[in-house]
Amino acid sequence: MYGWIWRHLPGNAWVRALISLVLALAVVYVLFQYVFPWAEPLLPFNDVTVDGQ
Amino acid sequence: MARARNRIAGVISVFGELLITAGVIMGLFVVYSLWWTNVLADREADKQGDEVRDHWASAAPGALDTRDGIGFLHVPAMKNGEVLVKKGTDPKTLNNGVAGYYTAPVKSALPSARQGNFSLAAHRDGHGAKFHNIHKLKNGDSIVFETKDTWYVYKVYKTLPETSKYNVDVLQPVPKESGKTKPGRYVTLTTCTPVYTSDYRYVVWGELERTEKVDNARTPPAELR
Repeated sequence: MYGWIWRHLPGNAWVRALISLVLALAVVYVLFQYVFPWAEPLLPFNDVTVDGQ
Repeated sequence: MARARNRIAGVISVFGELLITAGVIMGLFVVYSLWWTNVLADREADKQGDEVRDHWASAAPGALDTRDGIGFLHVPAMKNGEVLVKKGTDPKTLNNGVAGYYTAPVKSALPSARQGNFSLAAHRDGHGAKFHNIHKLKNGDSIVFETKDTWYVYKVYKTLPETSKYNVDVLQPVPKESGKTKPGRYVTLTTCTPVYTSDYRYVVWGELERTEKVDNARTPPAELR
């Protein structure tokens, strides 16, 4: 999978490495900004109140 | 034969990469939960706290204003500075690194009320983790609540290290579970326990010892000096 991505990136090894890094950072950004905030309330780690439900 | 083996190897390697990816994502989620949410929440809480203090400084003395937050909680034993207290305990409020006073299932009394239970909740981990050190509180420790014109000094008299999340009785105006039978001016802190999970709730009760008027220099009471 990652090998396939690597082979389809343009340029020489340095350019590919740079693009890979940017892609990885973009993925981390999307995770922190959108995916994790969405997932967090669905997981049972951080309920702090007592309630009847 | 060789081609079939290659295909199998390919499938297995993609499967392995997916597993590694899942592991990395879970690791990032831990980083997000325990670090990044604190960064965001502390930033937001500082901003909101400054707004409340500015508002106090500019407005006329007297009336309690619940809109931006009713005051600041100081618990020296928790070593976490001041915690802004706002109305409500919904996640959206608490995720900003503040403590919230209960509006449901049992409505909290305000500290200024002649009697009742001032019940609060805040995060144990992430989102500011304002009650992270709740287990450090022992009987006799001070819980000080600062409003615009009054310091309320409470003393811890009972801790309940583990209770069910359905145990709403801990919030009652007279918290019988803490051993009290008469109306008084109580404070109740609730958060989740054990750390990093929310299987149970941790509860700390305090009773009002005295109040002090805020002076012009906002000199803190002896407990905070």
